[in-house]
This record gives sequence, structure tokens and C-alpha cells, in this order.
Amino acid sequence: MKSHARLAAAFLKQEERAHWHDQALWYVREKRDRMAASVPDWEDLRETAQAIKRHALANLPRYLEEFERSAAARGAIVHYALDAGEHNRIVLEILKGRKARLIAKSKSMLSEECGLNEFLERNGVEIVETDLAERIIQLAGERPSHIVLPSIHIRKEEVGDIFHEHLGTERGESDPTRLTRAARAHLREKFLAAEAGISGVNFAVAETGAIVVCTNEGNADLGNSLPDLYIAVMGVEKVIPKTRDLSVFLRLLSRSATGQPISAYTSHLLGPRPGQEMHIVIVDNGRSEILRQERFHKAAFCIRCGACLNTCPVYRRGGGHSYNYVIPGPIGTILAMHRDLKKFKDMAYASTLCGSCTAVCPVKIDIHRQIVLWRNEVVRAGYLGKAKSVALKTATLGMKSTRLFRMGGWTMRKLVRILPPFVFNNRLTIWGKSRDLPKMPARSFRAEFRAYSRSKTDVSESGMNREG
Amino acid sequence: MKDSRRLVLDRLKEHAIAGDTSYPAYSHPHTGIGDPRRSFQSVIESVGGECLLVADLEAARKAVAGSEVFFAAKNICSYVNEIAEGNFDAEAEESPDQCAGVDLTILRGELGVAENGAVWVNADPLRHRALLFLSGNLILVIEGQDIVPDMESAYARIDFSGLRSGYFISGPSKTADIEQCLVIGAHGAKSLLVLVVG
Repeated sequence: MKSHARLAAAFLKQEERAHWHDQALWYVREKRDRMAASVPDWEDLRETAQAIKRHALANLPRYLEEFERSAAARGAIVHYALDAGEHNRIVLEILKGRKARLIAKSKSMLSEECGLNEFLERNGVEIVETDLAERIIQLAGERPSHIVLPSIHIRKEEVGDIFHEHLGTERGESDPTRLTRAARAHLREKFLAAEAGISGVNFAVAETGAIVVCTNEGNADLGNSLPDLYIAVMGVEKVIPKTRDLSVFLRLLSRSATGQPISAYTSHLLGPRPGQEMHIVIVDNGRSEILRQERFHKAAFCIRCGACLNTCPVYRRGGGHSYNYVIPGPIGTILAMHRDLKKFKDMAYASTLCGSCTAVCPVKIDIHRQIVLWRNEVVRAGYLGKAKSVALKTATLGMKSTRLFRMGGWTMRKLVRILPPFVFNNRLTIWGKSRDLPKMPARSFRAEFRAYSRSKTDVSESGMNREG
Repeated sequence: MKDSRRLVLDRLKEHAIAGDTSYPAYSHPHTGIGDPRRSFQSVIESVGGECLLVADLEAARKAVAGSEVFFAAKNICSYVNEIAEGNFDAEAEESPDQCAGVDLTILRGELGVAENGAVWVNADPLRHRALLFLSGNLILVIEGQDIVPDMESAYARIDFSGLRSGYFISGPSKTADIEQCLVIGAHGAKSLLVLVVG
């Protein structure tokens, strides 16, 4: 497995694409800012959202049972799964029970997390992603590079090639409207032929047993209203206590995600439609483990809006596929660490720790702080690479001793000026790959400061008024 | 066989969420909406829909009759006969698939939300709720007095007790999945016209 740094470097080699990616996501971030500013109580809403999450997750067993009772009373069949494997088996069994072989699926990060598609395909079920971006990804044989904009790394000419091969559109067609129309016609056929629909869940309301699904395309709605079998899959953390709480989360979700006031469709489903069988699969798959760790439990508050991806300078420049975990970016980083610290350790360093993720998070997860804490865990577990380890230990030594620090500073000031740059910036110093050492000052900060203090005393004594 | 339900619920009992975990008392009314009808209209237009404020049913009828979608539609399904009559009866169809050829559906929404241009549609009176998403175009009719300022007041008015499915619909279906270029008309309606009566 290649490290984040190597994968990001490869992405950045395609300069034009990388620049477009960066700009496109920054544009979404700016839309989010405008939307946030238009809601007078935005910051209070974020606080309330976090308080509701804190309350709901601290009382999850109670709310899950309430949700289960309410949903069952409406005619839905509720299942629980401990992990990804059990989730996949439950879904397959339901499909087999109804002999469903063609499935219209809408976006679900949970199913990506569980590897549902691969599992079902191995078992002879044809699963068709119906969100346009997910369909592009599926036909290309890739994985999503963003949790809300899964195909953000693919250019329109490439979509044209993929559609030419699979949907028979004209060669060289790259007009987004014509490509979208072709996908609409192709997927409409699939919707009408599908024997079952599968979707994720944005929110599940304990009070009423409602599941709420948000989309712009309307694909989840065709998938849950046409076939006679519908399966909704959700993580345990999706449950909120009351209907009223939806007002808080829905006001935050789309504005944070794409800078829209609300998604085009926000569907509230309470049990199956007449003549339909509806199943809800509730999955733990590590979430209870997250909630058991005091410093890291807030990661489970996430409502999957993707705002932290859009704002992250590292994500925007390196692209989603530079992260090895299924969920990329800042939130992906703090979720991946729970999954497998050793495997995903490099993700903890795919951050500038600028804190922008924390600043935009609609439920106020302390993302960048958690990333720092995870670096501690990586070091503690002994997973830090040797070069970094030695460099950091040396730095620590220097920082701890005044004498060593002064000596080091003196040496650098002299040597950098005398020696040619390649001594400091060569193949062995990774740090210097895209950076140069700054020009060395003549004097140390300490000396500068002493001189400054002296001059200030002189100035104030002479009665002049100067800005310090 | 182990009981996964019990295991999941037991695991979740042991959490490390510290501090105040009480349910928060909150209310965040959206102040600064101004004229709710105008705000509602401008948000719908900003998300690719069309919204007309009309004085009464007669004006609504004229607006629909004069609209391009009505003119172009072959199969029209109307649940608001006082505004426009349809020529396709979805209620008579056995299966939702048979509604796939509907070009235009006209029905009533229960309320509108000024802050985000969403219309609440209770789909329970429809035999096939799929019609809402299969229909090529959609006209929603709401009463002017049913426009509330924000989502909090919207939820306060919706009765979930006997509901099976309800939708906030805001604008036509859309996607920006190809290079972030906005394309109106993904899987659902290719256009949305909202008539605010009175």
C-alpha cells in the first residue's frame, strides 16, 4: 500500500487536474460560507446540533429501542448487525428471500464501509448505483474520492469515455447535460426493472420511526418507491430523539455540504408503501468502540456532510484517493485510526493541523485536535518511521536545552550562508522536496530582542512616540 | 445463534461521553426572513425552480394554462382539478411503473418554508408515491398563508401520527456530478413550478 504522501504526489503531477480539483472544492467551501452567513443563528445551531448528538449518543440503547418499536409499528422490519460481515449477510438473505437479483442502490457511505457491492456481486446479485457520480465510479471500477461528490476527481472527457464504453453515447461527447440525460435514460430502465432498492439513511427519528433520506437527484426516491422490496442501511449513530431535531440538522446539513439551502428532496419514510416490504438494518461495525474512547468519541457525531474535505488544504490538493481509507479527508482520518491504526497511520500526517475542518464542522467535532492526539498514538504504538523518529528526537533534545538550542542556531546561521544549498537540500532531506531554507538572519532572535528592548528604552526616554 | 441486537445495545451502554448529556432546550427561529412569500419565491428561483405568486385560483388556472410545461405535456396527471384538469389517472393504475410516461403532475403541497424554498408534500393521498419522482415535470400548489419562516415552524405544523411518507421538495431534481456543472433534471422532475395562491 502506497503512503498518502506518495499518492498525493502522483495526483499533483497532473497539474491542471489538481488545480481544478482544488479550485472546485474551494468554490463549494465559499458557497457554504455564504449559506452559513445567511442564517442568523448559525453558531448556536452548531452548538445545539452537538448537544443533541451528545445526548442521543449517550442514550443510544434507549433511542434505538424506541426507534425500533416505532418503525416496527409502521410495518418496517428492523435488523441489527455487529459488523460489516453480518450487515452484508443480512442484506443478502433478505434479497435471496425475495429472489431479487437486480438492485437499484442509492449512495450510502455505510455500504462502502462494509464492502456491500463486492459482496453482493460475488453472490450473483447485480447492484446498480443510481446516484450519477456513484454510477460513474462504478462503471469506471473505482472508489469514491469524496463522500458527497464521489466523482470529483474525474473530468468530463473521462465521463464521456466511460459512458461511450458502457452506455453507448457518442465518442468524444463531453457535454455534462447530454451525458446526464444519457445516464437518466439508462438508469430509468434500471429503476423500472429493479426488484429491490437499497439506500443509506441520513437521520432516523426515534419518536416516529421515520427514516430521512436527502438527495438532489431523486434517485433514492425512485429506489424506495418503485420496487416491492426496500432495504435501508444505517449506522447506530443516525438516531435522533425527536422530529423537531430534524430542523436543526437539516438546516445545517446541505448548507455545510454543498452550500444549498436544503437538498432538492428530503424524504421521510415511515414504514413501507402499501404492497411493499421494508427492512432497516442497523449496524455497529466499530461505532460502539469509538464511543468508548473519551478523547475520540466525538468522531461518531459526524453527519457525513463533507465540509471538512472541501475546506482541507491537504485534501483539496492531494485528492481523495491519496487517502487509503474509504472515507478520505480530515473526518476520514479520525475514523480510519479506529479501524486500523497501523494500516492508516500515515493519514494522521496528511494534515497541516490548520483547524479549518474543526471551524466548519456543523456538529463541532474537534477534528484537528483529534488528529494531533492520533499522532501521539502512532508514536506510542511505535509506528512512526525511523527518519521521522530520529529527527523528532533530535529536535526534542535541542528544544530542551538552552545551550544546545543556541549552539544549533549559531551553527546554522553560519553554515547556511557559507555552504552551497545542496548540502541542506538533497535527495536525502524529504523536507526540502518543495521547500527552501529561509535566508538566515545575521543575528539570533534573542540578540534582536535585546537590541530592540534597549532601543525602546532609549526612545521612550527621549520622549518620542513610536509604534512598538 | 448469538443475539446481535442484544450485543449491540449492550456495547452501546458503555460509552465515554462526558459532561452534560441532557437533552438541550432550544429554539432557533430564522429571523430576518422579511416577507415570507417573497423570500420563499426568491429561494426557489435560486435553486432552479420557478415560483409564481398569484392572487386566487382563477389566476393560478391562467398561470398553468399559459405555462410552457402544460403546453408541451402529453400525459398530465392532476390532483388539483380546480386549477387544471389532467388526462391521465394515476389512481386507476395498478402498478407505479405505469406512471413512467407522465409528463406533468399537478398537486397540492401542505406548506412552504421561506428559509429554504422547500414545499412539504404529504404523499399518502397518492396511490403511487413514485409519481412524484417519475413525472417529467411538477407543479405544486400551496396557499400563501401556509408559508412558514423556517424549518422549526414547519416541523411544528406537520402531523406525523398517521403519516407513511412525506417529502420536502425544493426545486427540480438536479446534479452537479460531472465537473460540478449544474444540470437540472437528474432522475426526478426536470422542472418545478410552485404556485403560491393568495
